[in-house]
Amino acid sequence: MRIGVFICHCGSNIAGTVDCPSVAATALTYPDVVFSTDTMYACSEPGQDAIIQAVKDKNLDGVVVASCTPRMHEPTFRRAVERAGLNRYMFEMANIREHVSWIGKIKEQNTVKASELVRMAVEKLRRNRPLVAKRFETVKRVLVIGGGVAGIQAALDCADGGQEVVMVEREQSIGGKMAKLDKTFPTVDCSSCVLGPKMVDIAQHPKITLYTCSEVESVGGYVGNFQVTIRKKATYVDWSKCTGCGLCVEKCPSRKHPDPFNENLCNAPSINIPFPQAIPKKAAINAASCIMLQKGKCGACAKVCPVKCIDFEMKDELVTVDVGAVVVATGYDLFDWHKYPQYGEGRYKDVITSLQYERLLSASGPTGGHIKRPSDGKEPKTVVFVQCVGSRDKSVGRPYCSGFCCMYTAKQAILTKDHVPDSQSYVFYMDIRSPGKGYDEFTRRAMEEYGAQYVRGRVSMIYPKGDKLIVRGADTLAGTQVEVPADLVVLAVGAESAKGAVQLGEKLRVAPDQYGFFVESHPKLKPVETNTAGVFLAGACQGPKDIPASVGQGSAAASKVLGLLSKKELESDPAVSRVNPARCVGCGKCILTCPFGAIKAVADRFGNPKAEVIDTVCQGCGICTVTCPQGAIQLEHFTDNQILAEVNALCPPKIFANFE
Amino acid sequence: MSQLDDLKSAIKDRLGELECVIGWEQGYDALHATPLFIRTEADLDRLVIGPLAVHNLATYLTAYKGKKIGVVVKGCDSRSVIELVNENLVNRDDIVVFGLCCDGVVSQPKIRAALPADPGFVESVTIGTDELKITVAGQTVTLKKSDVLADKCRVCQHPNAIIADVLIGTKQNPAGANSLACQEEFEAKSDAEKLAFWQETMSRCIRCYACRNACPMCVCRDYCIATSRDPLWLSQDNSPAENMMFQMVHVSHLAGRCTECGECERACPVDIPLMLLRRYMNKQVKDVFEHQAGTALDQTPPLFTFKVEEERIHERGW
Repeated sequence: MRIGVFICHCGSNIAGTVDCPSVAATALTYPDVVFSTDTMYACSEPGQDAIIQAVKDKNLDGVVVASCTPRMHEPTFRRAVERAGLNRYMFEMANIREHVSWIGKIKEQNTVKASELVRMAVEKLRRNRPLVAKRFETVKRVLVIGGGVAGIQAALDCADGGQEVVMVEREQSIGGKMAKLDKTFPTVDCSSCVLGPKMVDIAQHPKITLYTCSEVESVGGYVGNFQVTIRKKATYVDWSKCTGCGLCVEKCPSRKHPDPFNENLCNAPSINIPFPQAIPKKAAINAASCIMLQKGKCGACAKVCPVKCIDFEMKDELVTVDVGAVVVATGYDLFDWHKYPQYGEGRYKDVITSLQYERLLSASGPTGGHIKRPSDGKEPKTVVFVQCVGSRDKSVGRPYCSGFCCMYTAKQAILTKDHVPDSQSYVFYMDIRSPGKGYDEFTRRAMEEYGAQYVRGRVSMIYPKGDKLIVRGADTLAGTQVEVPADLVVLAVGAESAKGAVQLGEKLRVAPDQYGFFVESHPKLKPVETNTAGVFLAGACQGPKDIPASVGQGSAAASKVLGLLSKKELESDPAVSRVNPARCVGCGKCILTCPFGAIKAVADRFGNPKAEVIDTVCQGCGICTVTCPQGAIQLEHFTDNQILAEVNALCPPKIFANFE
Repeated sequence: MSQLDDLKSAIKDRLGELECVIGWEQGYDALHATPLFIRTEADLDRLVIGPLAVHNLATYLTAYKGKKIGVVVKGCDSRSVIELVNENLVNRDDIVVFGLCCDGVVSQPKIRAALPADPGFVESVTIGTDELKITVAGQTVTLKKSDVLADKCRVCQHPNAIIADVLIGTKQNPAGANSLACQEEFEAKSDAEKLAFWQETMSRCIRCYACRNACPMCVCRDYCIATSRDPLWLSQDNSPAENMMFQMVHVSHLAGRCTECGECERACPVDIPLMLLRRYMNKQVKDVFEHQAGTALDQTPPLFTFKVEEERIHERGW
């Protein structure tokens, strides 16, 4: 074999602490290395051209580049060697930047380490063989999971781009958290007036199929060819007949169940349409509180329904769809603030969350848009807002900033003044984070035009006194303790990952971070991709986001989907597991451990059970190869021999040393 | 009828439908038993059971995969059968299990140590309820059975075969003790002491692979990493480090699968206390996965599953 080695300086990133020419000279002594040089920027156009030229001039059949992390530039160099006429897997990369120059200061030692990493790459490359990708067709349909504003945007963009869209929403109506909001910052325009038309577009778009009250049951397959099973939960109402007239909702005698859409501020009938702009505007029965379903008698809704669409016998239904790509837009949930003893742990009725306050402000909310506090229905004159409840707080395991709370608190302070002109708002804050367009001006308006009193400090306790709640906190700017007698306390509760997100991530093979938000492929350069090909992220499921950012990401995910599905065929990575049937004893351990369902049991021509890898499903994680006791499964491009060659290059076994 | 007669008649009933039944017979002298492959009724006369029948016959099962065979098992051996079935390495329907209720087997090294001189050829052994009378070179020595009991029997929790198509004998009670002094003593050592201990012990290893061949769960056969030249995982260098490497690989390969039958240690010709490693590893597996290999059918060994989050390994704190 004829190997060429290229040692990249990366400007001074590597050359600053590694003697690159010396590494190149050392590399020339390694077996099969016939050409070795150092280069200023291997990834630049002249750098790549030099590699191609060397392959041609020196008749190379393998290339090693020692530079940065392969996560960034391995595809770049693979394309370069391919342009030079080699197979793209006849290339190895040694990471001497992140693994050497950036972490060590001593030049001599760094140079030795860089040389050793290059030696490992050379030894691996000597055992590489050309691999060829398979091609397969894609299904031109997209699954969007979650019908919040991010999902809605992604679905509309995909559908407008000509793709079929299947949208799955867990709740009865799409709209997500945004549908619950009264107004939106920084324009203070009506949330449902902005969102409503988009929701209607979802319902009316000929290319969009909407499943609400539905969840993703299982996901199989791979990029371009996912098979998704959707569980349509029983609504006990035949939606093909329901006209959304609402007669049943009026007549339902069961009204003891809290209304989740109104954040449990009031009760909802057992058969309900959650809000006037709901899409689809269809009634559904809550089985847990329905008298008919629980006790077997009532049926008031069935009696009044003019189209006879109530069906108490309805069962969950499973629907299977094939899709080529998936957009995950499952959003967020609110942090459970009851963990905080200082806010009363739920003992005081007039300590509410910011989202509950939105419902009180909303004209379609339980109070018809008049601010009435939950305990006695009085209009509050002093409202205290407490920021960073479950954000930036290590003690409750939520060290991150939820991002949007500063802004919505300012908006709520403004709206409070609008609703109750003689009211006074106080805001306890840590820092004001308002980096968006028009955001800082907006918080300034809350303070200067609407007279909200901003107090920089944390609240240490809330206790009742008469019909007031005394909020005691620090004013760190004045260096004093303050006590504010409040009529209502609104907690700016932070965002956390949506309930069930981690479980959904398991089905989609998308990893959650330590807080349950989905991890993007690259924090800067691949913000909507995941490490599972064909699965994209939109909105707050990837991290707390406000509406503009969610909409932006929804469109970004849609453009990725459209780009993916615009190709007639896709290539599968050939670095997948392969079974040696002669060694396989058919015990099926690999089938049990494979997280992707990429291995199936087949019979050989004698009827003996054998394992077989489905190339396109295999993600090359290698769990099967370490599970197989027989060593019958090997991961192409990472075979035992290749890995072992790298280990032996780094620490040669004594017995080898004896021979030398 | 004695337990042996019961067993013989049970085997006789099923022998016709089976390729063979694996039991024990007397070996080269009165003190040693050896596996017996019963193919005809005449072979049955040679069958023996009792405290000298030490071998775990489940070791042979994978070699007969696809054929119907019978196997005689003690409580501990039955765990190996279960594990093989659970791992899909043998088919439960192909195996007729003759289960014994066992009151313990002997440890040959302990007997050897208790005899006045190297026994060489043992002329006769008389087995009483609590003692063994051993005649060697014309001299008769009486040993208390409890003194020469194998370590595994001192802490045995499954004296009766867990699965059996035919269960022979009266049920025995599990041992009261649940830990061995030798294990506790080993685990109390410091890392440096442990290293010194294994340096010394592993220098004795002759890499004969008897431990591997006797192990019922070592099923890699021709593809064992110890003898594979492609890939060359281990060299033939007979240094303590390389020997230890082999043993560590063996132990990790048995993680969640080892049924603690003790065959590796029994088979070792240079008396390396391999069970120290096995017991320690099994304890870890039990702590982390609440799993004991081969104690119930339909268990899945923890390393043959995939979970994003293990219940008892908290990698992420939510």
